[in-house]
Amino acid sequence: MSAVPAVAVDNTDVAPGERPPLVLGAHDFASVTDLICGIAERPRPTRAWYVCFALSAGLTGVLVAMVGYLFWVGVGVWGLNNPVSWGFAIVNFVFWVGIGHAGTLISAILFLFRQKWRTSINRFAEAMTIFAVICAGMFPAIHVGRPWVEYWLFPIPNQMGMWPNFRSPLVWDMFAVGTYMLVSLMFWYTGMIPDLATLRDRARTRARQIAYGLLSLGWRGSNRHWHRYERAYLLLAALATPLVVSVHSVVSFDFAVAQLPGWHTTIFPPYFVAGAIFSGFAMVVTLIVPARRFFGLADFVTPYHLDNMNKIILATGSIVGYSYLIELFIAWYSANLYEQFAFLNRALGPYAWAYWIMVTCNVAVPQIFWLKRCRTTPWIMLIAAILINVGMWFERFVIVVTSLSRDFLPSSWGIYVPTWVDLLTLAGSFGLFFTLFLLFCRYLPMVAMAEIKSVMPQSGIYLGPHRGHGQYWGEIPHQHELQAAGGAEENG
Amino acid sequence: MPPIEADGRAKDYWRSIEELYDLAPGSSRLPEHVLRTVWDTLSETSRRQFLKALGASIALAGLAGCRWPKEEILPFARRPEGRTPGVLVHYATAFELAGAATPLLVTSYDGRPIKVEGNPLHPFNLGACDRFAQASLLELYDPDRSTTPVERTPAQRVTRTWEDFAGSCRERFSALAARRGRGLVILAEASSSPTLARLKAGLRRKLPEARWFEYEPLSRDNEREGTAAVFGVPYRTHFALDRAKIIAAFDADLLLAHPAALSYARQFAAQRTAARGEMNRLYAVECAYTVTGAAADWRFPLAAGLIGSALVRLLAELVVNFDLALPPQAGNLGARLTSALGSPLDGLQLRALAGDLRRAGGRGVIAVGPSQPPLAHALACLLNEALGNVGQTVFYTPEPDPERPTHMVAIAEVAEAMRRGEVDTLVVLGGNPAYDSPADLEFADALRKVPVSVHLSLYEDETSRLCTWHLPRAHYLEAWGDARTYDGTISIVQPLIEPLFGGKSAIEVLSMISEENPRSGYELVRETFDGSVQDPDRERAWRVALHDGLVEKSAFAPAYPAPRWEMTGEIVGKLLAQNASERETLEIVFGESHASFDGRFATNAWLQELPDPLTKLAWENAAIVGPQTARSLGVETGGVLRLSYRGRELEIPAYVMPGQAEDSVFLALGHGRRSPAGRGSGFDTYALRHSAAPHFDRGLKAIFTGRRHRLACTQEHHLIDALGQRGEAQRLGRLVREGTVEEYRRDPEFARHRVHEPPLRSLWQEQEFSGHRWGMAIDLTACIGCNACVIACQAENNIPVVGKENVALGREMHWIRIDRYFSGSVERPRVLFQPVACHQCEHAPCEEVCPVAATQHSQEGLNEMVYNRCIGTRYCSNNCPYKVRRFNYFNYHTHPPEIEKMLHNPEVTVRSRGVMEKCTYCVQRISAVKVRAGNERRPIRDGEITPACAQTCPTQAIVFGDLADPQSRVAKLRQSPRAYAMLAELNVRPRTHYLAKLRNPIEEEKSA
Repeated sequence: MSAVPAVAVDNTDVAPGERPPLVLGAHDFASVTDLICGIAERPRPTRAWYVCFALSAGLTGVLVAMVGYLFWVGVGVWGLNNPVSWGFAIVNFVFWVGIGHAGTLISAILFLFRQKWRTSINRFAEAMTIFAVICAGMFPAIHVGRPWVEYWLFPIPNQMGMWPNFRSPLVWDMFAVGTYMLVSLMFWYTGMIPDLATLRDRARTRARQIAYGLLSLGWRGSNRHWHRYERAYLLLAALATPLVVSVHSVVSFDFAVAQLPGWHTTIFPPYFVAGAIFSGFAMVVTLIVPARRFFGLADFVTPYHLDNMNKIILATGSIVGYSYLIELFIAWYSANLYEQFAFLNRALGPYAWAYWIMVTCNVAVPQIFWLKRCRTTPWIMLIAAILINVGMWFERFVIVVTSLSRDFLPSSWGIYVPTWVDLLTLAGSFGLFFTLFLLFCRYLPMVAMAEIKSVMPQSGIYLGPHRGHGQYWGEIPHQHELQAAGGAEENG
Repeated sequence: MPPIEADGRAKDYWRSIEELYDLAPGSSRLPEHVLRTVWDTLSETSRRQFLKALGASIALAGLAGCRWPKEEILPFARRPEGRTPGVLVHYATAFELAGAATPLLVTSYDGRPIKVEGNPLHPFNLGACDRFAQASLLELYDPDRSTTPVERTPAQRVTRTWEDFAGSCRERFSALAARRGRGLVILAEASSSPTLARLKAGLRRKLPEARWFEYEPLSRDNEREGTAAVFGVPYRTHFALDRAKIIAAFDADLLLAHPAALSYARQFAAQRTAARGEMNRLYAVECAYTVTGAAADWRFPLAAGLIGSALVRLLAELVVNFDLALPPQAGNLGARLTSALGSPLDGLQLRALAGDLRRAGGRGVIAVGPSQPPLAHALACLLNEALGNVGQTVFYTPEPDPERPTHMVAIAEVAEAMRRGEVDTLVVLGGNPAYDSPADLEFADALRKVPVSVHLSLYEDETSRLCTWHLPRAHYLEAWGDARTYDGTISIVQPLIEPLFGGKSAIEVLSMISEENPRSGYELVRETFDGSVQDPDRERAWRVALHDGLVEKSAFAPAYPAPRWEMTGEIVGKLLAQNASERETLEIVFGESHASFDGRFATNAWLQELPDPLTKLAWENAAIVGPQTARSLGVETGGVLRLSYRGRELEIPAYVMPGQAEDSVFLALGHGRRSPAGRGSGFDTYALRHSAAPHFDRGLKAIFTGRRHRLACTQEHHLIDALGQRGEAQRLGRLVREGTVEEYRRDPEFARHRVHEPPLRSLWQEQEFSGHRWGMAIDLTACIGCNACVIACQAENNIPVVGKENVALGREMHWIRIDRYFSGSVERPRVLFQPVACHQCEHAPCEEVCPVAATQHSQEGLNEMVYNRCIGTRYCSNNCPYKVRRFNYFNYHTHPPEIEKMLHNPEVTVRSRGVMEKCTYCVQRISAVKVRAGNERRPIRDGEITPACAQTCPTQAIVFGDLADPQSRVAKLRQSPRAYAMLAELNVRPRTHYLAKLRNPIEEEKSA
């Protein structure tokens, strides 16, 4: 890999009204293709990749072993008890689902809002979404007592004449996460087809030709292809957009619909969504800062991109911090004994350490992003992002475990302590995530080449006053442009 | 035999296993070899083989004399009369513990006993039952029980047969007979059995120089000694708590650790309903917190060594301040009493008690616990006499066997005789003296010196391992016997099953060694019965006794002996002298274990997993210390203490218990067994016990070792973080509502005003309940927290045992639990008990969240759990505000020994791994009664359905019934002003309601 040093150019400091360049360096279309395809085309990856992959695959092996042990012996291998019937598995589930959200936000919502800086990072973030949702989806599946009859959750016609209980948030969850997984996967894959075709065209070995050939679905780059493709992408973006809000709202219903003090809270849906985006962006930063360095992508993932992401982290982090305050206020204002105790107990009870880790990481740490230097210095943001990930994991731990550990009847209060199986399963889920991610880095185009070319000056950035970065595929021409063209242009 | 119908319950009885084989009365007994085959087959612990044998024996009943193909299971050729396969039959029998019987009614399913309940026909317990008798069922099917006689030489252990033993003892005992029994010592556990007494007398006649001793580690002999001191001969004290207005318990756990506790608890609770605004008042002065202390209206923690002085103070208060006149023989006690009033006694004030007792006009009770010295009992006798209680609320019966030495003297004498080589044959009938005798006697070492020693016991335990012969004992459900309840009423112990492991009962072994022609247990018991019965139709009398489970009018006759008042001065003087003993060191106090009694139930997993009512400790014992003592020792709950006392040391974790007398360390006996069966549950506190002071003593030193031990508590201990304590204190008044009897008189509905409930409306169409509406009412005033319901539920519903590790993790499976809360100050806390099982909410939060609809509502309002449908998301448990759902984190029923499967109630599913379970209101019992009533085309009678917990409750605190029937007891209780629903503000509409607890505090503490 031709390691390109991080660019010293600062494209974050632009005068109002001006748009900063989104691709730095003297790139043309060919050099973009060469650079990005080159990563996937190398005959052997770097030693660093092997080391990382060995570690991740090893952890994945641990995960498989832990799940095998769990299935063999029973859920009791975890530290669960009565009252804390949900522990790490559900914490991890919510954590990973939350991680996924940044990908969808970047690829769908920013797409609809025509935030053209998304093109450098959307592929990356969407891949992260897919892998995070895979990790997330695994946990509800393994955490049930009898996984072999899990299919009863699905509304499959069966000899028992039984439907699932549609009143249960867990059933909603299953639909929400399932839909999310499907749409995200389609969205990711659809967006990747032109790039896969590029890889196919450049492939030197038979195996690659066949693999990329199959994956690129016969893409030839004809106008008709582009036209269909852009419509499909737009539609999928529109489909994915509500999912950003809905999935984590539904996940939050698992808690909000229950009547447990600390769970039974109307603020949960927006709070969860904000937290999900917050943690997702933190994860994108965590991944992209090393990746842009190792794979020489600094020209595409510029300080401007990082700056923008950190601003979103700051914004969503502040929403999360506000939610923490509102929770406390409402608990006090409710005058409900159990509610008040639940929140006091979070802050001052046996799990206070977890609460204060959460507050420190999620509320205090992002405040450094008020400083521009922090928003643009990779190592600072990397540390901050990792801390935010830790904080967000603890947020879910605090919600799930502290609420359960002390609910209504003091006689049933109990402490949950994770076992080594809990800890190794969590570590293993990271192993699975990074294994998938490293494979993605190795075999697939990490940056959306076709898209990024559209935001380069060569693509006709001079056209139109509102375009900013030029003609954007998939974009509907403005009325006045149509009029300027004499109305002759057909609207496709 | 046609079953005798009584009380709506079909009952059946039979006399012997042999009788089942005999076709007609008087027909010849079956050939020995056929029985032998059956016997041998049963000895294999295989259920298949058991069933085979069952099939064989039953078919033999119809086809006696045929050659029997053993390999096949055959159905009945002819159905024995009165027997329907699959229909439960009940037999009356009795369970004896430390010389006192509990009358039982045992349920049998196709020949195997599956549930032990109290005998509803017996006035002693009226169907109630304690934890020990109920859990003894598990012992029956314990695969660890010994299966064959074993002979030990120093070199090896040889498995023998009963014939071998019979052969060897024929020789031995004919030699002994020649010596008139010299060298023979029999050491028996306490027994009330008339047959045993008869055989003992026979043995005495035959071998006059043989010596017979009786030993119980948890002895009540101090009461014998005390009564003997004031009356000349030992008497047994009885109370009529149903007539008592004022009860003063001095270190006396009348409601749980007393041979008559079942009876006392019911009598006590019956006087606490405040039905006419009146209520009894219970005072407790005690060292360790007991359930009696928890039930008390006024409790004072006092070191065990000061209880005697407290009694003197009570006497002084009565005489000095309340003008109680003592007979002139009592002499002039003036100065002593004044000094007694002046001593500090840790700030104990007994003026209120004295006044109450005086005003009660002879309807008071002063009870002293078995660990208190004889003089304290003697003084209590005098006080009861002086107050006029005797004859009204207190009466005496002569102690049987008045001549015998006390248990502590007996065991010391046996050890001494063995050490001196005077014993050449020792027969130990039950008990486990090598484990449970005081450590200073070094019984085990002495036992090794005995040439021939025979030990009869259920397990090959510590004593068996030191004896030359071990004999497997028949469980009481396997053998004939008889026993007396505390009041003396005789019950016949009838077996329900052939001995599973070929054991023999104590009377059979006694007959083997002392009679030329050993007889069966049935013959022995029948002979005793026939010899005592008045009725000329003995067969009829026998049948009635078997059916009813008691022999009418066999109770001891009450006696009212005149006390020797002249001893008063001496008693008072000696008790006051105790007070002066040094207080530099800690006090060591021994007592009964809630789980294993004196250690005999250490192998019983149900009991081991049963949390202690006060500490909520399971599987282990601990050194119970008060909070101040703990602070001065620098130890917290779980910190390991090194105790040293009279040159012996023991390391044991501490448990800090508010309400434990300070500077006093309570040690439960009966844990830390060393034999393989029962090993690993706690710490052997017998190692510190000294025969000179078997109950309590000063001179204990304790230091914190710095190490920690993980104790398994089912409830967080009291001294949690300050925030948690505050949170608990804030909500306690809403959850467990209680008030004083005065408050109740002023405002009967006080309990309903404890919580302001919003209007409880529903947003959607309510489910309509038609037909029966099952409901439950639990009276917190009556509940004493005795745990009987927990074991009843465990036995009825096939609830698994999870082990210490899982209890420590919080995974115990009990469907009903007794929540224990503290209130008041840490120094003198009050304890509240609240039984909690599934509340069967009408708006059940668990049902809404189950994704696969595995928990659903029945038309009758039961919240039903469909195990087969459950996938184990555990969401229901999270959403249950009462946290009564229990999850099978592992397969707790993995490959149980075949014999343990015989224990299971066939009416209840055995749950597998990964499935949620919970209380069903004993839906199987509801269904059974519905079917029966349906067949008989009649409505279900109120009270006909009783869940296991309600059935066994000694105080009848739990009432179940149909809310749709306004005349039902439960519906009426729901209308009681004391009724409230816990957490009703969540609008879950629980079907279980509580009745608020009433207290009758003394004037000085009314405001508290």
